Amino acid sequence: MAQKSWLKTSLEIAVIVLASALFGIAWNRTLLADAWRGAPAGQAAPVPQQAAPGSQQAEALPMPIALAQVKELHDSGQAVLVDARSAASFAKEHIAGARSLPLEEATRQATPQLKGVAKDAVIIAYCNGFSCHDSMDLGKLLIKAGYASVYVFEGGLPEWRDGGYPTSGGKQ
Amino acid sequence: MKSFRSSMIPLALRIVLGAIFIYAAIPKIADPVTFAGSVAAYRILPYFWSYVTAAVLPFLELTCGVLLILGVRVRSGALIIGALNVVFMAALSAAMIRGLDIDCGCFRPDGPKTAPWVALLRDVFFLAMTAAVLRYERLRAR
Repeated sequence: MAQKSWLKTSLEIAVIVLASALFGIAWNRTLLADAWRGAPAGQAAPVPQQAAPGSQQAEALPMPIALAQVKELHDSGQAVLVDARSAASFAKEHIAGARSLPLEEATRQATPQLKGVAKDAVIIAYCNGFSCHDSMDLGKLLIKAGYASVYVFEGGLPEWRDGGYPTSGGKQ
Repeated sequence: MKSFRSSMIPLALRIVLGAIFIYAAIPKIADPVTFAGSVAAYRILPYFWSYVTAAVLPFLELTCGVLLILGVRVRSGALIIGALNVVFMAALSAAMIRGLDIDCGCFRPDGPKTAPWVALLRDVFFLAMTAAVLRYERLRAR
């Protein structure tokens, strides 16, 4: 009798988990397809370059991106890596090929511009790893400034360095 | 009076636990990208699986919460909630051991930061509530 009851409960659990999983996957199918392709289209919504003054708009968030994808985009030259840390930290060490745009400076500019970078270019912001939120804040500012494909590499310089990938130490 | 109280406590526990999980699920369903970021911050799952977790987990929380509130399939719903709590506690412990300074991502993904140890204590409390719901459900079924 007890065995029958456990069998029934196990079956119910399987049905609940399966139904929730199917519904969740169907509900988020676009996001999952974008994540699978590594495309930035899963972002909340494309933000117009200039919002009407005083208009209320949901803030678009940069999409998180993992080390493997960053490395791939870095090596193929398909992405611009932007270092959100201070100029001094950047001068000390940064991801090879990255350019510096400290959050403080970007905040001063309000709508920061990256010289020579097209608005539809893939941009990856990073800073000092998961405990650092500057890259996320910089990513938000870049989206506000009209850049359409902004990612945040939350592992940042520490994860990149731990992966044994190239860094530079000279001023740029 | 005693029987009234003894019937109200299990009902209240069940409804409160269900409501907590519905409250936790809704902001995550509304903003799966941010929740995927919270999942990725634990550095446990590969990139794509953080998104799968962010897509599925909130719906599982919502379903179990609704079942508990409606009093339907309570045992199964509570067992899933208990298992989820154990998984959350394992992930939080791993984050603490590795010294990750991250937000737990338990409720509002973009809300105020909750330290892993606070979230861990909260999960212990939720697990105790789940155990009580399961115990009352077993007594009721006899």
